Amino acid sequence: MPERTAAAGEWPKIVGFVCDWSVDLAPLVEAGRLRELPNVRIIRIPCSGFVRPAWLEDALGRGADGVFVTGCPYGDCLNREGNYLMRDRVDQLQRRLVRRRIDPARLAMLAHGLHDGQAFLAEIRAFVERLRALPKAAAARPPQAPAAASATEGEG
Amino acid sequence: MTIALQPGPAPRTAVRGRYGRLMTWLLRATLRLDTAIHRIWPTDYNPLYYTGGLANLFLLILVLSGLFLFFYYEASLGGAFDSVRYITEGVPYGGIIRGVHRYAADAFIVAVLLHLFRNWFTDRYLFSRDNPWISGMFLLVFGGFVGVTGYQLIWDERAQVLTGLFLGLLRSIPGVGDPLARIFLGGAGVSDGTLVRILFLHIAPASTLYVLLWWHYLRLRHPKIWPPATWVLFSVGLIFLLAGIIPARGGEPAAPGARPTGFPLDLFFLLPFWLLNWIPPGGMVAALALLVVLGLAIPYVGRREHPEAMNVRHAGVAQVIDGNCTGCELCYYDCPYNAIIMVSSPAPGLSRAAANRTLLAVVLESRCVECGICVGACPFEALELPGFLERDVKRLVAEAVRA
Ligand code: HEM
Ligand code: SF4
Ligand code: SF4
Repeated sequence: MPERTAAAGEWPKIVGFVCDWSVDLAPLVEAGRLRELPNVRIIRIPCSGFVRPAWLEDALGRGADGVFVTGCPYGDCLNREGNYLMRDRVDQLQRRLVRRRIDPARLAMLAHGLHDGQAFLAEIRAFVERLRALPKAAAARPPQAPAAASATEGEG
Repeated sequence: MTIALQPGPAPRTAVRGRYGRLMTWLLRATLRLDTAIHRIWPTDYNPLYYTGGLANLFLLILVLSGLFLFFYYEASLGGAFDSVRYITEGVPYGGIIRGVHRYAADAFIVAVLLHLFRNWFTDRYLFSRDNPWISGMFLLVFGGFVGVTGYQLIWDERAQVLTGLFLGLLRSIPGVGDPLARIFLGGAGVSDGTLVRILFLHIAPASTLYVLLWWHYLRLRHPKIWPPATWVLFSVGLIFLLAGIIPARGGEPAAPGARPTGFPLDLFFLLPFWLLNWIPPGGMVAALALLVVLGLAIPYVGRREHPEAMNVRHAGVAQVIDGNCTGCELCYYDCPYNAIIMVSSPAPGLSRAAANRTLLAVVLESRCVECGICVGACPFEALELPGFLERDVKRLVAEAVRA
């Protein structure tokens, strides 16, 4: 792995939560990273709606430059509502990030089906470009107090 | 419990066996069709996402237009055909309403079949999701039957032939066939009473559809029972347009003993009767019964219903962490399967936020599909999927950021 990361560069550092039922990751991922963009780490989840917004904040707080969640196309979530619910939560979290002076563009919600691997990659590339345009310093914030703190603030 | 969150198995390519491969192919074909549709409409407007809602819409149109027809219909041997003709020709807009009833019925059955196949091909009946599937099979049987009795009500030539064929099917059921036929006829032969029975057998199962729909929706939170407004308008418009352009017409009046001439068959509903040209009644009854039994068995046969066989990690039924639950009800609103209920809390929780709670979330194990949506909904760390603990996700996040 080291040689690959050296080649592609570590910046921007991105963490992606990808639903098992959305994009078919088998051809795209190797050792937990996108083959094409090794700076993107993938964490697989049972449904996009499984993601707690606190985990996204946590990733940003620990130094990720960007985070995204990928679910099925809207209207076709295997679990009926997961992607809509997650989209709402991401919207909410983005508003919260604005209040904390974190650029909400660091957070993205994607929706792609089993065969949309190329569209998925294209959107990630665009996301990477957006992040490269942002000032790097903002992401290097000290880790926040762990989730318990964000928990008491609630979902809004 | 190991967490293979990293590349992990590709869930849907690993199904073994011919059935499994066929289903995988059908799934991929369905999703590819969606991709094509999305070139025309945004994903929220993909009509194939709303086949259930469209079926429900057409059912409502059927009920409303049917009510109108009911008040003019006369259930008697001599009066039925004339009353239908009077509706078509004598009542203002009667012909249109009759056409609407006819075409909405076709649209209904098409929507229901698309709905069935889509849910089948996209695995939406697996694991704990058999409830809408099983109730759906009953909806299909009742809906199909209502269509057949509808064509009998007109009591034209076709209705008469249909009734003869239907009696043949009934009589071919071993043991109970003859008594059933007598009950259906209300005597030894067709009489006024027969048409009253047919009218009952049209309206009663149609009303039962709504009871079955209650069962159908029982485990679905926020079922999408209506398609987007544009599709509602389009469908209603299309049906009225069809009814205006191609009026629904009956054939010749029924006359005992007359040789039937040719007449068009509505293959959406009357396919089994058409096939009677080649299949003996006994075989047809057996085939229909087999289809229903197979349909009911679909969620339970094969190895596909086990997460292990599908190579999907077993997340485990969601667990409420009693001490942390504040009774905020957020999980209750978000669970798409109505698997969470709120009960009055027997004791305060342990965390500060939970100290004054009055409610406690409880997961109904039999309804939970292990999706974890409630975990994402809970801001108080009071829910966990045993196979995907929060601390493991956090560890993965930490590793991803560090690496
Ligand atoms: C009168 C006919 C029917 C109507 C009006 C109807 C309507 C609906 C509606 C509105 C939904 C909710 C869709 C959503 O919110 O995502 C649904 C779900 C479902 N229906 Fe039907 N349905 C009918 C017949 C059937 C039949 C014949 C089957 C198959 C045997 C079936 C299988 C299912 C399944 C498996 C689901 C669950 C989908 C999921 O969990 O996402 N339905 N139906
Ligand atoms: S969301 Fe969490 S805290 Fe709120 S009721 Fe559900 S389990 Fe309890
Ligand atoms: S995991 Fe949670 S949201 Fe999903 S079905 Fe079970 S209780 Fe409902």
